[in-house]
Amino acid sequence: MALRIDIGQYYAADSPVHRMDARVKLLCALSALVAVFCVTNAPQLIAGTAFVLAVLFAARVPGSRVLASVRPLVVFLAMLSLFNLVFVRTGDPLLSLGPVSVTAGGVWAAALYTVRFSLALVLGSLVLLTTTPTQLSDALDSLLSPLSRVGLPGHEIAMVFSLMLRFVPTLADEASAIMDAQALRGGGLDEGGPARRVRSVVPVVVALLASGLRHADGLARALDARCYEGGAGRTHYHDQRLTHRDLIAATLTAAFVLTLIFLG
Amino acid sequence: MAASTDTLVRLSHVSLFYEGGVTALDDVSLELRRGERVCVLGANGSGKSTLASVICGLLAPDEGEVELVDELVCADGQPDLEAYRRARRSLGLVFQNPDDQIVTSVVEDDVAFGPENLGLPRGEIAARVARELHRVAMEDYAQADPSRLSGGQRQRVCIAGALAMEPAVLVLDEPGSLLDVRGRSAIVRVMGRLAATGTALVHVTHFMEEALEADRVIVLDHGHVALAGTPEEVFSHGEKLGELGLEVPFAARLSQRLGLPWTCDESTLVRELGAVPDSQKGSMSSRPHTKDVRGSGAVPDLQVEHASFSYRLGSRALGDVSLEVVPGTSTAIVGQTGSGKSTLLRLVCGLEVPDEGRVLVRGNDTSTRRGRRGARRLVGYVMQHPERQLFAETVEKDVAFGPRNLGLPADEVDRRVTRALELVGLADRRGASPFKLSGGQRRLCALAGILAMEPRILVLDEPTAGLDPRGRAMLRSALARLRGLGVTLVQVTHSMEDAARADRVMVLDQGRVVVSGTPTEVFSAGNERRLTEIGLGIPRALRVARALERGGWPSLGDPLTTDELVAAIRGGES
Repeated sequence: MALRIDIGQYYAADSPVHRMDARVKLLCALSALVAVFCVTNAPQLIAGTAFVLAVLFAARVPGSRVLASVRPLVVFLAMLSLFNLVFVRTGDPLLSLGPVSVTAGGVWAAALYTVRFSLALVLGSLVLLTTTPTQLSDALDSLLSPLSRVGLPGHEIAMVFSLMLRFVPTLADEASAIMDAQALRGGGLDEGGPARRVRSVVPVVVALLASGLRHADGLARALDARCYEGGAGRTHYHDQRLTHRDLIAATLTAAFVLTLIFLG
Repeated sequence: MAASTDTLVRLSHVSLFYEGGVTALDDVSLELRRGERVCVLGANGSGKSTLASVICGLLAPDEGEVELVDELVCADGQPDLEAYRRARRSLGLVFQNPDDQIVTSVVEDDVAFGPENLGLPRGEIAARVARELHRVAMEDYAQADPSRLSGGQRQRVCIAGALAMEPAVLVLDEPGSLLDVRGRSAIVRVMGRLAATGTALVHVTHFMEEALEADRVIVLDHGHVALAGTPEEVFSHGEKLGELGLEVPFAARLSQRLGLPWTCDESTLVRELGAVPDSQKGSMSSRPHTKDVRGSGAVPDLQVEHASFSYRLGSRALGDVSLEVVPGTSTAIVGQTGSGKSTLLRLVCGLEVPDEGRVLVRGNDTSTRRGRRGARRLVGYVMQHPERQLFAETVEKDVAFGPRNLGLPADEVDRRVTRALELVGLADRRGASPFKLSGGQRRLCALAGILAMEPRILVLDEPTAGLDPRGRAMLRSALARLRGLGVTLVQVTHSMEDAARADRVMVLDQGRVVVSGTPTEVFSAGNERRLTEIGLGIPRALRVARALERGGWPSLGDPLTTDELVAAIRGGES
C-alpha cells in the first residue's frame, strides 16, 4: 500500500476532454507537449501555464488526482531544479556559500525547467486520466497503422502499451507486499549500511521477477483463450468518429502552438 | 466429422509430457456432450490444469486424438493449427487469477475484448456485453475499474468476458480458489444458470462440495483418470479419494461416521436422521476442551484498543476495533473481503499505525518507531500467498534469510532453519529449489521462513486460501504443532470450520466488530441470522444440528465440529 502508483489510471467523468476522439486528443497533446518543451521566455511560460490550466479545468479532473498521478516524478523535478540552481553560472551571482554560488541565470533556469517539466507532466497525465486504455490503444492502433502497412508491429505496440497501463498497479501492489514481507524478516530496504541496502534489493527483485513471469504466463493463456490474434480481423466496440468538438480542440491547440511560436 | 453432433469434446488416449519427462496426462479418454456439466478433481500436480488447457484448445497433446467442436484438431499427436484456431472460437476458459485475465481498466471494455477479437459487428458486441453483464449480475458496474472490485466480482467479469464469445464449451479452471465464500457461491450460481442454456461446462475445483452439482465427476491422479462417474459413485470411494489427497463432501463423511446409508446430500442425511426416534431429551454438555481465556490474569500478547484506520484516498478501513489476545491462545478473525481483516493484521504487525486508538504488542506501542521495532521482533506475519515472496535458489537459503539478517552466528542460523523446516515438515526438501515444490509445500516453505525468526505471535492472513485438500491438511497440522508449542496464533480465515477450532472468534463487517467471543458464543443461535446476513454462515456441523433440531430432535448442544456432532447424535440415540 505504501507504493500505490496512480500513473495512467483512468478517471471516469463526463467532460469535453473525455468526449474528444482519442486520436485527436493524442495528436493535440503531443503537439502541445512539444511546444511546451520549446518554451524559453517568460511570456511563453505564462501562455503555456494558462493553456494547461484551461485544459485541466475543461477536463473536470480533481487537482488532487492529477497531483497524485505526477507525485512519483516530483522528487525527480526537485533534483533537476536543484542542479540548475547550483550548476548554472550565468548572470549575476545572488548568493555564494564557499564553492557553491547561486546566480540569477541559475534561478531562472531552475524555474524554467521546473515549470516546463510540470506542465508537460500534467498534460501527459491528463491524457491518461481522461482516456480509457481501450480508447487509447484503439487510437494508437489507428495512428500507428501506417507502420503496420510497412511491416512494423503498429497494432502490437498499441496493445503492449495498453497492457502495461493495466499491469502497473498490480505489480506495484505486489512489489509493496514483497517489500513489507522482507522488511518483517529483517531485510528492509531502509536497514543497515549502503552495501546491505543494495543486497536487500535482490530478494525483492527476484520475487517480483518471478511474479511478473507468472502474470505473463497467465496473460498469454487468457489472450489465447479469448482468440486474440493481433490486429487483423478485429473489430472495435467503441466507435472512433470525429465531431465538431474535435475540430474545435484541434483549432485551439493549433492556436496555442502558433502563439508560442509568435512569442518566441 | 464427429460421430454425433451432440459430442462437443472427444479425447481418446491422450498423453502429454512436459520437459524433463514429466507426464502431465497419461492415456486420458473422455467425451463431453452438449449441456453437460463435468467436474474435474485431483490433487496439485495431478494434471487438472493441463487437461483444462487441452479441452479448450490451448495445448496439443503428444499422443492421441482430440476432437473439439466438430474439428479434428489433433490426430496421433499431430496438431492441425488451422483447425485449432477455428475450434478455439467456440471454446471459453476462465482460470484462477482474475487479475491475469482482465486486459483493460473498464469492465465493459473487457467483456467486449473477446467479441472484438472474433470480429463481430459493433451492435452485436454491445448486445452481448449487456446480456452477459446482466447474467453475472454485474450490469451496475459496466463503467467500473476492475481493480476497484472484489475478487469475486472480478472473476464474474472474466466469466462474462468468456460467455460473450458464446462458447459451446466453457472451461473453468479453479475459478473460486482465490475467492471468499460469498464470491465462490456467486460463481456456482452463475454456473447453474449456464447449464440450463446448453453450454457444456468443465469445472476444475479443489472444493468437493462444488462437485455435487455436476452430471459427472472425473478424478485425476498423476495424469490418468483414477475415478469417473456420477458424484454419488465417485464419492462412495472415500478411502481411494483419501489416498489421492482428496476428501469426500461433509455429508458423506458424516453419514459414514454415523453408520447411516451412504449419501453425499445434506438434506437426504437430515431426512434420514429425522426418522430416528428421539428417545432422550436434555441438552448435551457444553464443550469441555475450550480453554477459558478470559480473566486468566496473564499479560496479553496483543492489545488493540479502539483502533481506527483509513488508507490514503480511501474510505475508513477500520473503526473502533478492540481485541485482546492472551498468550498461547488462537484467535480467528472472520469477515467478507473488504471487512478490514487484513488491515487489522497490518496494524498488529506494525506495518500501519492506527489513526485513533492504539496497538500494543506485549507492551510495545506501535505508534512509536521503537515500539514498532519491538512489535516486529515479536510478531511473525504470514501474508496472503506468502509463497509469492520466495526468491532464493534453495529452500534452506530462503528460510535462512531472516535469521541471517538478524546477524546471528552460522550455527544458530542453522539450528533455526532445521527447527523451522521440521515444524512445517519440509526437513527432507532442504536442498530443493522453492520453485520446484508443490503449491502446498511452497506455502509451508514461506511459513518456515517466518518461523525461523522465532516469533512469539504468529499472524496469518488466509493461510489455506488456494491450496488443495492435501495442502490444507499439511498447513493445519503445522499450525496445530505450533499451537502445541505455545505460539500465539491470530489468523484471518474464510472457513467457519477453522474458526470453530480457535479459542476465540472475532467477526468483522465493514471495518467494525460485529461479534466477538468463544466459538460457542459467536456461533450461538442468537447470532446465526446476523452471520448469514453478512454472508458468513455457521460451521457445517452446527448447520446440520440446527436442521435436525428443526426436524424434531432434542437440543444437540451447539456442536461445532464433526466429532462433537457425531457424539451429540449418538448420545441422543442411546
